[in-house]
Amino acid sequence: MIIMPWTEKYAPEKISEVVGQKKAVEKFLNWLRIWKPGKKAALLFGPTGVGKTCVVEALTKERDLEIIELNASDYRTASQIKEVIGQSMKQMSLFKKSKLFLIDEIDGLAGRVDRGGTTEIIKIIKESRHPIVLTANNPYNMKLRSLRSYCLLIKFGKVYYWDIIKRLDFICQKEDLKCDKEVLRQLAKRSAGDLRSAINDLESLAREKTEIKLDDLESLGMREKETSIFDALKMIFKTKTALAAKLSIQSVDKNFDEIFLWIEQNIINEYEKPEEIAKAYNMLSRADLFRQRIKIRQNWKFQKYMIDLMTGGVALSKKEMYRKFSRYEYPDKIKFLGRTKFKRKEDKEKLIKLSKNLHCSVKKVREEFLPYFKVLEW
Amino acid sequence: MMEFEVWAEKYRPKSLKEVINQKHVVERLKAFVKNKNIPHCMFAGPAGTGKTTCALAMASDLYGKYWKANVLETNASDERGIDIVRHKIKDFSRMKAIGNVPYKLVILDEADALTRDAQQALRRTMENFTRTARFVLICNYSSRIIDPIQSRAAIFRFRPLSEEHQKKYIDRIVKGEKLKISTSGIKAILNLAEGDLRRVANLLQASAGLKKNITEDVVYEAAARAKPRDVEEMLKLVMKGNFKDARKRLNDMILIQGLSAEDIIREIHSQIYKLDVPEEDKIKLIDMTGEYDFRISQGGSELLQLEALLAQFLMLSKK
Repeated sequence: MIIMPWTEKYAPEKISEVVGQKKAVEKFLNWLRIWKPGKKAALLFGPTGVGKTCVVEALTKERDLEIIELNASDYRTASQIKEVIGQSMKQMSLFKKSKLFLIDEIDGLAGRVDRGGTTEIIKIIKESRHPIVLTANNPYNMKLRSLRSYCLLIKFGKVYYWDIIKRLDFICQKEDLKCDKEVLRQLAKRSAGDLRSAINDLESLAREKTEIKLDDLESLGMREKETSIFDALKMIFKTKTALAAKLSIQSVDKNFDEIFLWIEQNIINEYEKPEEIAKAYNMLSRADLFRQRIKIRQNWKFQKYMIDLMTGGVALSKKEMYRKFSRYEYPDKIKFLGRTKFKRKEDKEKLIKLSKNLHCSVKKVREEFLPYFKVLEW
Repeated sequence: MMEFEVWAEKYRPKSLKEVINQKHVVERLKAFVKNKNIPHCMFAGPAGTGKTTCALAMASDLYGKYWKANVLETNASDERGIDIVRHKIKDFSRMKAIGNVPYKLVILDEADALTRDAQQALRRTMENFTRTARFVLICNYSSRIIDPIQSRAAIFRFRPLSEEHQKKYIDRIVKGEKLKISTSGIKAILNLAEGDLRRVANLLQASAGLKKNITEDVVYEAAARAKPRDVEEMLKLVMKGNFKDARKRLNDMILIQGLSAEDIIREIHSQIYKLDVPEEDKIKLIDMTGEYDFRISQGGSELLQLEALLAQFLMLSKK
């Protein structure tokens, strides 16, 4: 049996199975219905992984069309395009199938070796006896300017959060995979509307497993991108030199606020003596004050103090280097805040409603009423 | 969550006639209503003594069915900045009243939470819109309201209710809800409520939720269950040297329960005396608590500063 990646295994077989993109699909089908030789091509555009190519492939499967595809991996000079498409575009198919040309990722075509490519595509659009579909991330790319006027632009938006969750849940069921609902939510959030990446993430988590728990997400949360913060933490917590600690965060591709959270989270994963922990936290507390002064007064001269205290200050809070391997963790605060955002918003709304009805402030409701409601199990 | 009835609200007097005690206040307010002439007022006094109730009751006696349209009820603890005065209050005050009373009523609850700037702005508003709006400011401490405002308002002081009057209120609820309560149960409630009728109602309701027959034990159990334990337990953990779990508690309180640092640090301060540490350490801890409280007021981020404070407690823990 051939093992297919899930993104292919669960690609839609019919147009109706496409996740989201209702408007775009409608516009696309409409275009196809009234298409005649000489009319505009369709240019499907939008961010990556939202289903542009998917729609075309679902359509060809559903209507049993012959698809002739050119994508980014093919060379696309004028002569090559001619070779692949040029011949077949004027002929009917051998088996009387209708044909459809798909030129995928045309914004990748601009510039490179593909000189004369756009001109050739325009020529094909004008002469083809079969509909032509193009896809692109950014149709407003300068190189596509001349091409645009020969195309009907159809926009694909990001896939909705809930739609992603629904799709992931569907795949879990098919794969007989137990999966924490929170995991699906986190995956959907991480994907930022890119369904393909969400499915890929799910698949990589599920490898050799029948169940995915929340903890498993951590392996995903720390892709290569975040290796450098670990090196910086290691430097800060192991060195006894203020300057070395300070320089360690220079090349980390995170902003200082986030680095701050990483240090805050991991003090207790390195230091063991109470005095050291207290001292290190006091340093962060002072750094925090400088951070607020920067924010309030827009006065960036305070930043150097903040950085020195949060790196060097924390580094020198220890008496001696710990000769041990420490596992540094992802900051709770980032994890929690994302996870509890909806709940906190809901709670807040409930409290405001209560405070209106009980004629007192939100704070009073929380202090004077909620404890008793808890007893009554409301 | 909204289907249940909260007794504190259900048994809140709807008219000045129903208000228990505070005679010296109520009589004068009734006279205001009769003459349809209400000056700017300031109600000061401890929690649960009927300040908000009197303000709402007065409004409803004064305007009758029109009261909703003519009353702006707002809480300074939720909106404490100058913007609320500049926009919400001003916009409401400048429009004419509906019905036969020529002015509207602004009830500003927990007015002592207003910033100084906001109070200054309020003072001008009170003067400029006297024709179309009257203000009732409600606060716990009149000293936190700037003098110019105090001098523009008739001041009413609310006193904690005597046992006799609290009993009357308990009786009202017991009859209304057909409860069974023993004499010792009533005594326990009086003991715990400290003259705060809101707490009386809440305690009764919580107790009634636990058992049909309300005895002394039931009341104390309800009170114990209602007491927030998180801060106490967090301190216990850190004093045992378990910083990791203490920090988790703190995260939970702030990030999940949404408590404010102000409330938590107040509770920490009151718990210090109960800690099992040498007396001189208690003083050190209080000093540190004050320092971190100050840092928060200087704009420090709540969670980090509390964590740092907790780490200072760790230093004095038994290792």
